[in-house]
Amino acid sequence: MKHSDYYGYALFFLALVLLPSFLDSRWQAVATTFIIFTIVALSQDVVLGKSGMFNMGQALFFGLGAYTSAICNTKFGMPLLATVPLAIIIPALFGIILAGPIIHLRGDYLLVVTIGFNIVFVQALQNNLLGLTGGPNGIFGIDVLQIPGVDSASQSAVYYICLAALVMVLIVLKNLEKSKAGRALTYFREDPLAAESIGINTRVYKIFAFAFGAGIAGLAGTLYANQYSAVSPEAFDFVQSVLFFSIVIVGGSSVPGIVLGVFVMFVLPEIFRDFATWRYFIFGFAMIFTMILRPCGIWPATYGKVPAYILKGKQHGNK
Amino acid sequence: MATNDLVLENVTKRFGGLTAVDRLDMEVCQGQIYGLIGPNGAGKTTVFNCITGIHPCEEGRILWKGDDITELAPYRIAAKGIVRTFQTIRLFPQMSVAENIMSGRHVKSSQGWWHGIMHTPKSRRDERKNWLKVEEQLEFFQLHEFTVQPVQSLPYGLQRRVEIARAMAAEPSLLILDEPAAGLNDKETMALLELVFRIREMGVTILLIEHDMDLVMQLTEKLTVINFGKKIAEGTPAQIQQNKDVIEAYLGSDDDD
Repeated sequence: MKHSDYYGYALFFLALVLLPSFLDSRWQAVATTFIIFTIVALSQDVVLGKSGMFNMGQALFFGLGAYTSAICNTKFGMPLLATVPLAIIIPALFGIILAGPIIHLRGDYLLVVTIGFNIVFVQALQNNLLGLTGGPNGIFGIDVLQIPGVDSASQSAVYYICLAALVMVLIVLKNLEKSKAGRALTYFREDPLAAESIGINTRVYKIFAFAFGAGIAGLAGTLYANQYSAVSPEAFDFVQSVLFFSIVIVGGSSVPGIVLGVFVMFVLPEIFRDFATWRYFIFGFAMIFTMILRPCGIWPATYGKVPAYILKGKQHGNK
Repeated sequence: MATNDLVLENVTKRFGGLTAVDRLDMEVCQGQIYGLIGPNGAGKTTVFNCITGIHPCEEGRILWKGDDITELAPYRIAAKGIVRTFQTIRLFPQMSVAENIMSGRHVKSSQGWWHGIMHTPKSRRDERKNWLKVEEQLEFFQLHEFTVQPVQSLPYGLQRRVEIARAMAAEPSLLILDEPAAGLNDKETMALLELVFRIREMGVTILLIEHDMDLVMQLTEKLTVINFGKKIAEGTPAQIQQNKDVIEAYLGSDDDD
C-alpha cells in the first residue's frame, strides 16, 4: 500500500468516527444505512469485481442474514448479538448450496440464474415460508443489538457498531487480497483457462467467493435488522441487487470506488430529498458515461501490490 | 522405465467427425528435450491439450510417472508437476509480472481457503516464502526491472518470458512449451534457446512444439512428427531430416498436386 493510501484511509475513518457528533439522529440513521450498504457492496465486489462472476442476487444473501437475525431474535428469543455468527454462516452455506450447481455457468447465464434465485427468495418471504418470515409485512419488533457494558439503544451507538463491523470487514478483505485464495479469484477472472492450467481449482474457488461474499452480506443483514428493528421482503428484492451490481461496475472494484458508488446511490438522494426520484435518472447517466469513458469503473482496482522485501534496491528505470 | 517418464499410449481425440489425434504413441523420458512437430493443423496443440487435461482424450491412456492421468482435470495435472505455456500467450493481463509469477506458486503454497479470511503465523510465513520464490524467478528470468508492471504493457517477447517464468515458479518436472518462439525475433529466439537449456540443466524435462526448424534441430534430442493427427516419424533430429515421409509432409510430394 502506498503512503497516500494510508492517509486516505486515516482521513476517511477519522471523518466517519467524528461524523455522529455533527449530525442529528435522522442523519445519523442515514450515515448508518450508508455503512450497511457499503458492506453489502463490498461483499458484492468479492464476487463481481474480484472474481468476475455476474451475480445479480446479492440482496438475497443480505436478506438471508437479516431474516436469520430477525427470526432467531423474535421467534427463538436469542439476543441479536448471538445471532451474528448464524447470520454469517447461514448465508455462506446458502452461497455454497446455490452456487454449487450453477458455478460453471458464465457471464449472462449466471446472471439470469442469480436473478431467478433472488426472485424466488422474495416470493418465499412474501408467502410466509414455514410460518417464520411474516409474509409481505415482514418481521417487526426486533430487539436492539446489546453489547455488554454499552448503552447501545441510541442511534449513535448503532452507528458505531456498524462502523466497527465495516472496519472488521475491511480487515478481512485486506487479508483476502494478501492470500493464496484471494489471488486465485483474480487469476481466474483474468483468464480461467490459464488459472486452471497453473493448478487452480477454479470451481472450488468460485464457490468460495460466493460463500465469502454471502457471509459478509449476511453480517450486513444483521446490522440492517438492528437499524430498522424490522425486516420486510421488498428491502431485499431484485432491484436492490441491481443497485449493488451497478455500484461495483460504476464505482470500480476498489474500496474508494465502492464508497463513492454507495454515497451517490444511497446518500445523495437523502440530501436532495426533493430529487429522490431523480437518482435513477442521474445514476443511469452516470452508468452510461462511466462505461463509455472509464470501462473499469470510476476508481478501478489497482494491481502490482508486491511485498516490499522483493523490491528493495532492484528497481531500475520504470517506477 | 525411468520414474519421470510421460507415456502416451494409443491416444485418440475426436472433434465430431474429425480425428484430431489418431492413435498416437509417444514416450518422453526424464531429462529430455523432446520436440513435437508437424505441419499446420496436424494436431500438435491438441496433443498438448490431451496431456494437460484441457481436452481429455477419448481413447488411449496417458501415463505420468506410472500413474494414469488421462481423465484428470487440468489443475490436478499441474499439481502433479506438468505445467504448460500457450501458443497464444495466456497471462493475467491486468496484473503485474510478480503477481503473474506468484500464480505458479499456487500449487506449492500450503495455505487453505480459510487463510483468505484470517492469516495464521504459519500462513504468513508461507506467504513470505512464496514471494521470495517469485523473486528467485524474477532473478533467473531477468525480469526484475518489470516486477510491478502490468504484463499487458510488456512487449511480446517479454510476455513469453513471463509465461515461462510463471510455469517454472510451479517447480514442474515436465515443462510443456507450445511454440515458444512464435513471434520472437532472432535475438529473442537465441535467448530462448539458451533459456531452455538452462531450464533443462535444472533437471526439468521439456516437451515442445515448434515451427522454427532451425531451432528444433538445435534444441531437441528426440522428435515426433505428426501429420493429420498420425505419427509419421520418430527419431533424432538428424534422422528426421533424412526421413522421406517428413519431407513429403512439409514440402508436399509430386503426386499431391
